[in-house]
Amino acid sequence: MVLDLWFIFRVLVFPGFTFLLSLTMFCDWVERKIEARMQNRVGPKFTGPAGILQPFADFLKLLTKEDIVPRGAKSTVFKLAPIVAFSIVVFALSFLPIDGAAVISNSSFAGDLIVIMALLTIANFLLFLSGWASANPYGTIGAARVLTQFLGYDIPLFLLALAPAFLAGSLSIAAIAASQYLPFVLLAPWAFVLFIVALQAELEKDPFDIPHAESEVVGGLETEYCGRKLAFLHLTRDVQIVFGAALVVELFLGGPYGPVFFGFPAFWYSLWFVLKLLAVIIISEYLTCLFARLRIDQVLSANWKMLLPLSVLSLALTIALVTWVYPLVV
Amino acid sequence: MHFNSGACNGCDIEVVALLTPRYDVERFGIKLEPSPRHADVLLTTGAVTRQCTERLKRIYEQMPEPKFVVAIGACACSGGVFKGNYNVMDGVDKVIPVNAYIPGCPPKPEAIIDGVVKLLNSLKEAKTNGGK
Repeated sequence: MVLDLWFIFRVLVFPGFTFLLSLTMFCDWVERKIEARMQNRVGPKFTGPAGILQPFADFLKLLTKEDIVPRGAKSTVFKLAPIVAFSIVVFALSFLPIDGAAVISNSSFAGDLIVIMALLTIANFLLFLSGWASANPYGTIGAARVLTQFLGYDIPLFLLALAPAFLAGSLSIAAIAASQYLPFVLLAPWAFVLFIVALQAELEKDPFDIPHAESEVVGGLETEYCGRKLAFLHLTRDVQIVFGAALVVELFLGGPYGPVFFGFPAFWYSLWFVLKLLAVIIISEYLTCLFARLRIDQVLSANWKMLLPLSVLSLALTIALVTWVYPLVV
Repeated sequence: MHFNSGACNGCDIEVVALLTPRYDVERFGIKLEPSPRHADVLLTTGAVTRQCTERLKRIYEQMPEPKFVVAIGACACSGGVFKGNYNVMDGVDKVIPVNAYIPGCPPKPEAIIDGVVKLLNSLKEAKTNGGK
């Protein structure tokens, strides 16, 4: 295949790497602002207009810091895991249709929903490895907690992601997003609510942020990390949050599609995508601020005793409705 | 990063007050970090007891370069009322290099913010003069 400029532009600039990176930084800023406002504070204010450049400044600062590898750490895994985790999440993001098409055109195929869910799992597993390799008791405890929690919440998340797939009758993300004349959040609101809850756990946000509970395990798996590697761990976490929100947008909120008023549809599609993404980020951050942290045993029992049966039930309900009710209505 | 090297907790309360809605240092992008590996600035309170000395040194050594130390309160600056006592080191600067001193017993949160701003300005000056 001849490498054409348009392809490179799409991958590197818009809607590829640069766009996703600035979107991530912007979402990080939105999160910090919301958290601060919920706590009656101001939040970042002086770096750039209204502090909008603060995440970027933090990232640059971490890049310039000294890079330490502890003596007992497994140095290869310790160094590689954050960067590989970051690239996997960005790679998974590039499968999502952002301006009406996926980042790499024609990359969509039947079953890419399963592929990106698997990529999300691998990224989480790499985060676990990064904590495990750091030879620090807090890092190890944090990593073990990541694994315990995400083993539990991955299954409900998969089951819940299947509800839109059944509604659309396809396992391809692009087909699911394109088939939502009526957003699936209206057709299967129960799955939407449960998906948000499972996502909070998957992304380790309150009330499920026990893997990096500062008052118990210092920094969790990040404890030994500093400098560039910490920058990439933070970035992975933020990109994961964007990825989770984007997944909700694609599966439940009608993807990037919305009214096109004039000019290029691609522009309007990206605008709708970003707006919907921000709505999901705001919901998730609102939940984060609202709830206190659960204990690990509470999280596990809530998961295995409540969320898993509920997600199976939700899947059964969705399938029943798709089979018998919706064909009569729609 | 905040380390208590044997303070009476007066200064610590003032440091924590920095994070509250009234003073909110996150406006300047300053956050309290749990691990020395993530920290840029070490806020130290207390007169540094002999037992704390090794811990203080180790925490300082765990921080990645470039790193800065701020001594908060009269005790951390010079030993304060405990100066000359048999079990204290008379101030943080006897153990690790200190970049900014904020006296007071305890210093007001405004004073701490002022001290941090002065530290930042001294960094800018050092940069214009070419290196540290």
